[in-house]
Amino acid sequence: MSSVPLSAYLVLALILFCIGLYGALTKRNIVVVLICIELMLNAVNINLVAFAKYGAHPGVAGQIFALFTIAVAAAEAAVGLAVLMALYRNRKTVHIDEIDSMKH
Amino acid sequence: MSGEYLAFLALALVAIIGGVLMLNLSKVVHMVIALVFTFISIAGLYVLLSAEFVAAVQVLIYSGAITIIMLFGIMLTRHREEDKEKTTTGGFWRKALTAISVFAFGAAVYLGVYQLDFGENAARLHEKNAEQIGTALYSHYIIPFEIISVILLVALVGAIILAKKDDGEAQKK
Amino acid sequence: MMEMAWIVPLFPLFSFFLLLLAGKKMKEASAYVGMLATFVSFLVASAVLADRVGGSTYKAEQVWLAIGSAKLTVGFEVTALNAWMLVIVSLVSFLVHMYAKGYMQGDERFSVFYAYLGLFTFAMLGLVISPNLLQTYMFWELVGLGSFLLIGFYFYKEEAKAAAKKAFIMTRVGDVGFFIGMILLFLQVGSFEYSDIFKAVQDGTLSQPMVTLTAILIFVGAVGKSGQFPLHTWLPDAMEGPTPVSALIHAATMVAAGVYLVAALFPLYEASETALLTVAVVGGFTAIFAASIALVQTDIKRVLAYSTVSQLGYMMLALGSGSDVAAIFHLTTHAFFKALLFLAAGSVIHAVGTQDIEKMGGLWRKMPLTAALFLVGALAISGVPLLSGFFSKDEIFAAAWMHGHGVLFWIAVVASFFTAFYMFRLFFLVFGGEERHGAKDVHESPAVMTLPMLVLAVLSVAAGYIHTPWFGTFLGDWLTDGGYAHEKTPSWMMIVAAIVSLLGIFLAWLMYGKRSLARDWLSSRAPLTYNVLLNKYYIDEFYAWTVGYVANAISRLFYYVDRFVIEGIASLITATVNAAASLGSRMQNGQVQTYGAVTFIGLALLVAILAFTGGYL
Repeated sequence: MSSVPLSAYLVLALILFCIGLYGALTKRNIVVVLICIELMLNAVNINLVAFAKYGAHPGVAGQIFALFTIAVAAAEAAVGLAVLMALYRNRKTVHIDEIDSMKH
Repeated sequence: MSGEYLAFLALALVAIIGGVLMLNLSKVVHMVIALVFTFISIAGLYVLLSAEFVAAVQVLIYSGAITIIMLFGIMLTRHREEDKEKTTTGGFWRKALTAISVFAFGAAVYLGVYQLDFGENAARLHEKNAEQIGTALYSHYIIPFEIISVILLVALVGAIILAKKDDGEAQKK
Repeated sequence: MMEMAWIVPLFPLFSFFLLLLAGKKMKEASAYVGMLATFVSFLVASAVLADRVGGSTYKAEQVWLAIGSAKLTVGFEVTALNAWMLVIVSLVSFLVHMYAKGYMQGDERFSVFYAYLGLFTFAMLGLVISPNLLQTYMFWELVGLGSFLLIGFYFYKEEAKAAAKKAFIMTRVGDVGFFIGMILLFLQVGSFEYSDIFKAVQDGTLSQPMVTLTAILIFVGAVGKSGQFPLHTWLPDAMEGPTPVSALIHAATMVAAGVYLVAALFPLYEASETALLTVAVVGGFTAIFAASIALVQTDIKRVLAYSTVSQLGYMMLALGSGSDVAAIFHLTTHAFFKALLFLAAGSVIHAVGTQDIEKMGGLWRKMPLTAALFLVGALAISGVPLLSGFFSKDEIFAAAWMHGHGVLFWIAVVASFFTAFYMFRLFFLVFGGEERHGAKDVHESPAVMTLPMLVLAVLSVAAGYIHTPWFGTFLGDWLTDGGYAHEKTPSWMMIVAAIVSLLGIFLAWLMYGKRSLARDWLSSRAPLTYNVLLNKYYIDEFYAWTVGYVANAISRLFYYVDRFVIEGIASLITATVNAAASLGSRMQNGQVQTYGAVTFIGLALLVAILAFTGGYL
C-alpha cells in the first residue's frame, strides 16, 4: 500500500506557512494581514493532522489539537476584527504602516 | 500512481495557487476569495489524512465563518481609492530581505523535514472518526475543552465591547 | 669604628624625617637639629677616618636581590677614598648648616630648607660609601633630587623654577650615559661590585673596546653631574638657589661626585688610554672654557659658578692625566676654598641684597672680616704660593706635564692665569674702590655665619700641607696604600705657576684696583670676543636652537599623530556607534511589521546558521 508520505504534507504545510509569513510581514491592509495569519495557522493544522496519522505515535490527539487551534483562531479572528473596527473608527485607516502610535 | 497521490497533488496545487494568488491580487476581496480555495483544499487534505470531522470543521469555520467575518471587515472599512494605492508596506530592501529570510527559513526547515518518515503505523482513525474524537474530547480532553469554551466566550464579549461605539462618541453623534 | 661607618649617613636622614614631620612646630630649632645631626656625622666620620688611616679597607654587604645567578648586594665600604670623602662631605655640610642658620633667618620655609639639606647630606654620604655601582647610582639620583629641591627652593621665582628643571634635565642626560655604562658593565661582568669590575678589567675578561666604551659612558654621567662641557650650562643657572646650597652642593660636594665616581672607578679608566685621554681633554677644555667665561660675568655667584666648572675641569684633567691623587687633593682643597668663597659671597649678598658686582664696592671697610676671608679664599684658588690651591694645582700641572699632555699643560696654566684674574677682579670690584650701592645699613654678618667661614679659611690655608713635595705626600701615600711615587717635576714648574697666578692678580689690580688700565680695555678693543664671553659662548642659545628645535619637531609630529590618527580612531569609533544607533532608531519606527520583519530575519539567520553548520539534524 503506497500512500502519500508524511514529508509531502510537511513540505506543503511549510510552503503555505512561508506564503502566510511573507504576506503577514509585507501586506499593507490589516485585513489581509489577519487572513495571512489564518493561513499560517492552517499550515500548522495540516502538520498536526498529518502527524496524527503518520507520526511516531498516531492517534486522535493530533486531530483534537487541530480542533482547539481552529477554535482559538476563530476567537483571534473575532477579536482582531473588533480591534480593526475600533482602530478604523479612530484613525480612519486600515493601513498598517499608518498605525505607529507606539513609536515613542 | 495511486488515486490518493493524484488527489493529494491536485489539492496541494490548489492550496498553493490560492496562497500565491492571495499574495499577488490587488483587490482585498479577491485575496480573501483566493484564500477560500486554499482553505477548502486543506479540508480535502484532512479527508485524505483520515480526519473527516476536522475537515468538516475546517469548511464550516474557515471557509464559512472566518471568511465572512473578514469580508464584513473589509466592507465596513473599505477605502474609496483602494486600487490606486500600493498593497504592500516597506521599501524594496525590506521586502527583499524579508523574502530572502523566508526562503532561508523555508530551506532550513525543508532540510529538516523532507526525509522525515516514521513509517506506516496502523492507526484506525478513519473508522468512526467523529465518535473517536467525541470520546476523547469529552473524557481525556474535557478540561481543555471547557477552557477553550471560556476563551471563546471571552473573545465574544471582548469583540463586542471593542467594536461597540464609545459612549462619548455615540453621544456626539 | 669602621664597621659603624654605615651610621654616618643615617643622622642627616633622621634629621630629614624629623624636620619633615615636626619642622613646622620647631621653626628656628630646626637649624639645631640639622647642625647636631651633621656634627655627629662629622665626628663619626672623623673616627672612621682615624681608624682607616691605621687600618685597611673594611667592607660589609648583604644580598639584596638574587636574580638567577646574579646577586645584587647592598652594603658599605670604607676605602681610603671613601673615608676621606665622608669627612669632607660631613664637615662642609656641618659648616653650611651652621652658616645657613644666619643666612636663612626669617625665611618662611626655614625648617623645610633644613630638611632638604638633611636629605641631600644623607644621599651624598650614602653615595661615597657605596660598595657597588648600583647603590652608587641610587644615591647619585637621590643627590640629584636634593639638588633639584634646593635649587628650586625659591620656587615662586620663575628663574629658580627654570633653573631647577634645567639642572634636573641636564644631569639626567648624563645619567642616561652612566646608566647604560653601568648596565653594560653588569652584562659583561655579572656584578655591580667595584672589586669584581676591577678584577674583570685586570683579568682581561672585559675586552679593550668594552672597557673604553663603558668608561666613557660612565664619564658622561660624571660630565653631567660635575658640570663639564658640554653639559655645564645647568651649574651657573643653579645659582638661583640659596647661597648656602650653592656652597654645599654646587661647589663642594655634589658636583665633585663626578670626580669621585671617576676616581672610584679609576682602575677601569687606567685600563683604557682612550678613555683617559677623553677625560683629560674634556677636563682641560672645560677648565679654560669656563675660566674665560668667568672673566666677564657680572653676577658674583655666576663668576664663582663658572670658576667651579673650571676647577672641576682641572680635576678631570688630573684624572685624565692618570693622577687620581691630584684630583682628590684638588677636590679637597677646592671644597674648602670654594665653599669659603661662596659663603663669603653669600655674606655679601646677605648684606647688600644684590648679586650684581657693578653695584657693590668699598665693602672692605664695612665688612672687614668677610673681605679678609674672601681674600684668603681668592688667594687660595688663584694658586698663590703657600696656600692650599697652590699645592693642589701644582700637582695637577705636574701630572699633565709628566703624562705628556704638553698642550693641556699650557692650557691649564693659562686657565690658572684667568682664574687669578677673575677672582681678583671680583675682589677689587666688590671690596675695593668706592661704594656704588644705595644700601646704607651694610654691616658685618653675625657670628653664626662668620664662624664657619673662619674654619674654612683655616682649612683653605692649611689643607695644602697634607700633600706637598716639600713636607711629604701624606695624602697620596695613604690613598694609594703607600705606593705613591711623587713624580719629580721640573723645578721651573712651580715658579711658572706662581708667576702666572701673581701676574693674573697684578693685572686685575691694575685694571680694577689701581685703574691704570681702562676697564673697558677688552670690550672696546674686541667687542665681538667680549660679547661671546658675556653670553657664555652662546651655548644656551645653541641648545635652545638645536635641542629645542628637535624636541619641538618631534612633539609637533606627535601632536599631529595625536590629532589625526588617535582622534581619527576615536571619532571613527563614535561614528560607528552613532551609525549603529541611528540604524537601530530607524528600526524603531513603531510599525509592527518592521518589528516582525527584523525579528524574523534574526530568527531566519539563526536557523540558517544552525542548519548549515551542522548543529541541526
